Amino acid sequence: MPISAPPPQPPAHATPLDVATDLLALLAESATEPRTDIQLEALTLAVSADLPVLLWGEPGIGKTAALTQLADALDLPLTTVIASVHEPSDFSGLPVIGEDPAVQGVPMAPPDWAVRLVRAGKGLLFLDELSTAPPAVQAALLRVVLERRIGALTLPPGVRIVAAANPRASAADGWELSPPLANRFVHLQWSYDHDVVVRGLGGTWPRAVLPRLMPEKLTDAVMFARRAVCGLLVARPALVHQLPKNEVRRGGAWPSPRSWEMTLRLIAFAVASGTSRDVLSMVVRGTVGDGPGLELLASMDRMDLPDPEVLLADPAVAVLPERGDLRQAVLDGVVEAVRARPEQSRWDAAWSLLVRAWETGPPDLVVVPASTLAALRREDWEVPATIEQLVDVVSLSQRVGAGR
Amino acid sequence: MSMDEEKLFAARLHAVRSRPYLATALFALHVVESRSVPTMAVDRHWRCYVSPSFVDRTPVEELAGVWVHEASHLLRDHHARCDRFAVAHELTGPGERLRMNIAADFEINDDVFGDGLAKPEGAVVPEMLHLSEGKLMEEYLRQFRLGPYTDGFTWLDCGSGADGMDREWDMGPSGAHGLTAQEQDAVRFRVAQSITGAPGNVSRGWQRWAEEAFQPPQPWRDLLGAAVRSAISTSGAGEDYTYGRPSRRSASLPGVVLPSLRRRPPRVCVIVDTSGSVSDAELGSAIVEIAAITRTVGGRRDLISAFSCDTAAHLTRPLCRAADIPFIGGGGTDLRTGFAAAVRTRPDVVVALTDGQTPWPLSKPLCRTVVGLFPRHHEPDDYVPSSPPDWARVVTIG
Repeated sequence: MPISAPPPQPPAHATPLDVATDLLALLAESATEPRTDIQLEALTLAVSADLPVLLWGEPGIGKTAALTQLADALDLPLTTVIASVHEPSDFSGLPVIGEDPAVQGVPMAPPDWAVRLVRAGKGLLFLDELSTAPPAVQAALLRVVLERRIGALTLPPGVRIVAAANPRASAADGWELSPPLANRFVHLQWSYDHDVVVRGLGGTWPRAVLPRLMPEKLTDAVMFARRAVCGLLVARPALVHQLPKNEVRRGGAWPSPRSWEMTLRLIAFAVASGTSRDVLSMVVRGTVGDGPGLELLASMDRMDLPDPEVLLADPAVAVLPERGDLRQAVLDGVVEAVRARPEQSRWDAAWSLLVRAWETGPPDLVVVPASTLAALRREDWEVPATIEQLVDVVSLSQRVGAGR
Repeated sequence: MSMDEEKLFAARLHAVRSRPYLATALFALHVVESRSVPTMAVDRHWRCYVSPSFVDRTPVEELAGVWVHEASHLLRDHHARCDRFAVAHELTGPGERLRMNIAADFEINDDVFGDGLAKPEGAVVPEMLHLSEGKLMEEYLRQFRLGPYTDGFTWLDCGSGADGMDREWDMGPSGAHGLTAQEQDAVRFRVAQSITGAPGNVSRGWQRWAEEAFQPPQPWRDLLGAAVRSAISTSGAGEDYTYGRPSRRSASLPGVVLPSLRRRPPRVCVIVDTSGSVSDAELGSAIVEIAAITRTVGGRRDLISAFSCDTAAHLTRPLCRAADIPFIGGGGTDLRTGFAAAVRTRPDVVVALTDGQTPWPLSKPLCRTVVGLFPRHHEPDDYVPSSPPDWARVVTIG
């Protein structure tokens, strides 16, 4: 890459150290570019939803650098606190004995960084090295993260909290996160993308963009989020609360009413800002854990599918999904709906839907629903004319039969 | 000549009928007709490129096998695993990718066919290179190189979905009908769910895949280490804050009460099950592990003691070197005597290493307990011992 501007000429009187400073300044110059970076988007989404985020990543892969950028993008002052070198009293407040403790009580004095944060009214509080903090410090941090209180001070709403931790395997003498503390965070696995690192060392880092919430979508987003979470939890009551039993999952995300509420908020933010499903998947799985998170996402996919009753009401204008597995799910749903309330008109409508599916997509998807639907026929129902068009489907099925 | 789609889809139907739990994955594949593909190939966005002439010359039953084979590459995430392997071992070039394709095919083909699904002609299996079955792609990759034996495989090409190298026919991420990473995970999840939901008719290979798809196996050393470490470090032992004596900071802050950091080295007691069923190698590695962990969290040698235990607890003495512990015993086990002897030394943590074929103490001992469990396979009509009690943290070893 050609350098357009000539390098600044050091003044004649410069000491060697001044020259070094100039070189360092040149090295520190870097540009940013817009780039789809899912983990950065997930981080900004969770931060804008005002949920505490915990970044898990090996040492030295740029967690701190990402935070510095995020603070720049959000225009928030960054306060970094290395949790492992602080004492519990730095978070719960230092007891200062006054004139007459029996009358006045013992106030818990907050540390200076907390005072500065409160005075600024906004900021990004970065708690680094969380997993190497001793248990007593973690217990004190609980209050900071959950109640946003440090000693007698309450962090103003403009302050966002992000923490970072090294995974157990690489933290030589790390303590694992206690389940109550783990449950309060959105856990994001931070890994480096080879291209991003190479491009960044070349001088261009990806830019963090805050999700833009669309005011007209807010009401729908809340309704959608409530429907998604409640729909799953009604069907799967066991998912509401599952303390991590197995060793692998300790210290990570697990489902509880609290983390489901966080999930609800994240979905609403994702819908209102039009964030991609990939980003949503990352934050949801980081909040309630992989299994429950995937179940929620899978049931949300099903929520997007057309309602069988709507399709049956007007099969002529029905639009079926392109993707084979989703189309199959819709057709199965239609047949199930007919089975639930068998009527001649609904049965006929289902046949015309199957014909439509057969005309517009792979024929093998239609075979199983067609044979199930045929079995639902009552004696007095007349076979519709459209069924003639499905003869090919029957032949397809026979072709398989012959091949067996 | 256009493609005999009916035959291709009849084959898919056949595949779905013989492997119903893979239906979601098979239906999620989007078919793209392509004349540059030798047979059938997948890309990393779940598109399936099909050669019309291949469809014409292949019988339906074998096509069904190819369908399942290609879907397996995607379900088992071969392209991403190949990329990771390539980065970790700095492998480049089409030759290495062909080797990965072969290894990935070995992983699939050794257990996917049969039971209603025909093996396609020319499918490669590990036996052809005199390798044993049932391994993972990464293991096969360490076991063979390209050479005269593999010359016959050079036509193999399952596409970028199998080995991670882009092909000229790939439509790329921006092309139509690709699945995003989240959609791919959702499909994998549905398949894993339908396998764990009805495990009876599913081959062992697929069951193992479903168990590990979203819960990768963890190295037991890390888990045992984490369990022992957290048992040692939680309050009562280890390094923590105390108001019991003033902090060194206090001198500079009059009027402020500060806690001080205080270390109380943990006392750890290891109970080793020396009944005939546990091998020395397993025991040795586990004990070395525990000793190392205790040392890193500040334990002193004189605070670690070990008991060997069969029906009677045999020995208590400081653990000087792991190799020094004489294991007396054999025969049946009763860990209750071991626990009783261990508790008398007033430890902070008891670590029991056992195969679990023992009765357990009825009440919780007054210290944290970690159980390292050596798994044993039980015949169906065997005596199955009761599992370790709730109050212990259990790590499966091996």
